[in-house]
Amino acid sequence: MSPALVTLLVVLVSAMLLRAPIAFAMLASGIAYLIVKGHDLGLAAEQVLNGLYNGYVLLAVPLFVFAANLMNAGTISERLFELSRVLVGRMRGGLAQVDILVSVIFSGMSGSAIADAAGPGLVTIKQMLKKPEYTPGFAGAVVVASATIGPIIPPSIPMVIYALVSGTSVGALFLGGILPGLLMAALLMAGVHVIATRRNMPKDDPIPAGDYPGILLRGFLPLTLPVVLLAGIYSGAFTPTEAAAVAALHALILAGGVYRAFTPKALFAVTLESLRSSAVITMIIAAAYLLNYAFATEGVPGQLALWVASLHLGQLQFLLLVNAVFLVLGCFLDVSVMLLVFVPMLIPTARLLGVDLVHFGVVVVVNMMIGLITPPFGMLLFVTNALTGIPLKDMVREGWLFTVLLVFALLLLTLFPQIVLWLPQSMGYVTH
Amino acid sequence: MWKTGLALLRRAAQGVGVLLFVLLFLVFVVQITARFVFNQPLAWTDEAAVILYLWAILWGSALVCRDREHVAFDLLYQNAAPRVQRAMSLGSCALIGVLATWALPGSVDYIFFMRRESTPVMGLPFHWVFAPFALLLLALALRYALRIYRLLGKDWQTHL
Repeated sequence: MSPALVTLLVVLVSAMLLRAPIAFAMLASGIAYLIVKGHDLGLAAEQVLNGLYNGYVLLAVPLFVFAANLMNAGTISERLFELSRVLVGRMRGGLAQVDILVSVIFSGMSGSAIADAAGPGLVTIKQMLKKPEYTPGFAGAVVVASATIGPIIPPSIPMVIYALVSGTSVGALFLGGILPGLLMAALLMAGVHVIATRRNMPKDDPIPAGDYPGILLRGFLPLTLPVVLLAGIYSGAFTPTEAAAVAALHALILAGGVYRAFTPKALFAVTLESLRSSAVITMIIAAAYLLNYAFATEGVPGQLALWVASLHLGQLQFLLLVNAVFLVLGCFLDVSVMLLVFVPMLIPTARLLGVDLVHFGVVVVVNMMIGLITPPFGMLLFVTNALTGIPLKDMVREGWLFTVLLVFALLLLTLFPQIVLWLPQSMGYVTH
Repeated sequence: MWKTGLALLRRAAQGVGVLLFVLLFLVFVVQITARFVFNQPLAWTDEAAVILYLWAILWGSALVCRDREHVAFDLLYQNAAPRVQRAMSLGSCALIGVLATWALPGSVDYIFFMRRESTPVMGLPFHWVFAPFALLLLALALRYALRIYRLLGKDWQTHL
């Protein structure tokens, strides 16, 4: 390891441990690398700015964030909640099942797990906490576990970022996420059923049949969005970035025009919040361009590829190894750091071994979503804790079964690539 | 006086950020409408969107987002005593503030160097497109200097 690379790692790790924002810690460590290396410091600006300027597909990020925030502020989550209640509320542990179904529907509109937990997740937690049979820990655990489905069923912000670093098609990745997302939902629903039966949890109160038409009608309008999005992207009518804008426009018209849920002040707040979250995500991406420049200069991805090649792993062993490493890293690192720094290093190796990059992408993204609910560093746990006050350790204690089930889903996806690839391939995706 | 001035500036910075974000969204609405309703694809919208995005993000990071809104690893920090927290903050502010300042002249040079080139469709010189990066480094340097000053002051505990 060169002195410059050592400096980079020391600055990065110490700044992060001192609680500097991760994005700025990455940026600073990249600058430190350039200083020790004796390179022109203008390279910092050049790498970051050209990366952002040429990352057109990244524009989907702020637009998907905006769409999700509009839907959450515009009572769309509440409407979906009522709709799901009619459909699965009468099962045992009804509200928990409702939460999972809402997550599935909402993930067809939003690409962010955090937005899922903060929107529909929060709506169901509030309802569950009104009933003594649902402990706060269980309520939180169900919500964070089901929120992981958000970026698996398209649209998906992490998959857009993966497409950027791997050069794969966003459309194929989106299609590849549908069956895995449904699989995760089915496993979680089974898990809830087992726990609910054992703890004798209540069914949800019956809803008078006379209310059905109203609820279905109110819930129906938001459901038109996934249809428009999917049809638009897969028919090639619009790019994923344009689809993100369409989603935001759809939410704006629905929430602002039809439901009249917005005052100008509220709209300003939603936009400001979207700017903030987009800036936070994108700054990490921007800083990653600089770090990846440093790693590429040092030849790290190539050496990693050589090292993995010397292990003589098969495709499957490679995937299992990557999964194991990422599950551990996911306990400590943020998704964007793994996706932007570690994944690009592995792409050459995956290609060398003939791993399909769409399959690899979906597996990696599912893996990272599990990282969002594993302590000590799990963004979904943090967000849910911040919104509801449910202690982290309660969610973790009551949620272990869900984590195990999600890891099981991950294992199935890894072992059977067809779960991911069948849908994209039947729509014309060809492995390169 | 000093406090209200800062609050006003912050509000203005938020307004500019929101305006950039709204413009970014509107550019897409225009692009989609032009293509699907009028069947007339526009050339400038992609470029305008990327430029607005760059501006919105860098402006937002420099002047709108507070540190605690960023993703950070705060396990050690949260479990530390106030005095240790103060030392940790001083360390991280110094580290990032110094490195951002160090990179500022070189980055400004690069951005000015780019004024010889213009964007392909709209012909906007690149130093305008890239300028907010210098703003970000400058904002980081000033913000962390101010924070260090406050943390070294008498009522440092209110600034943890």
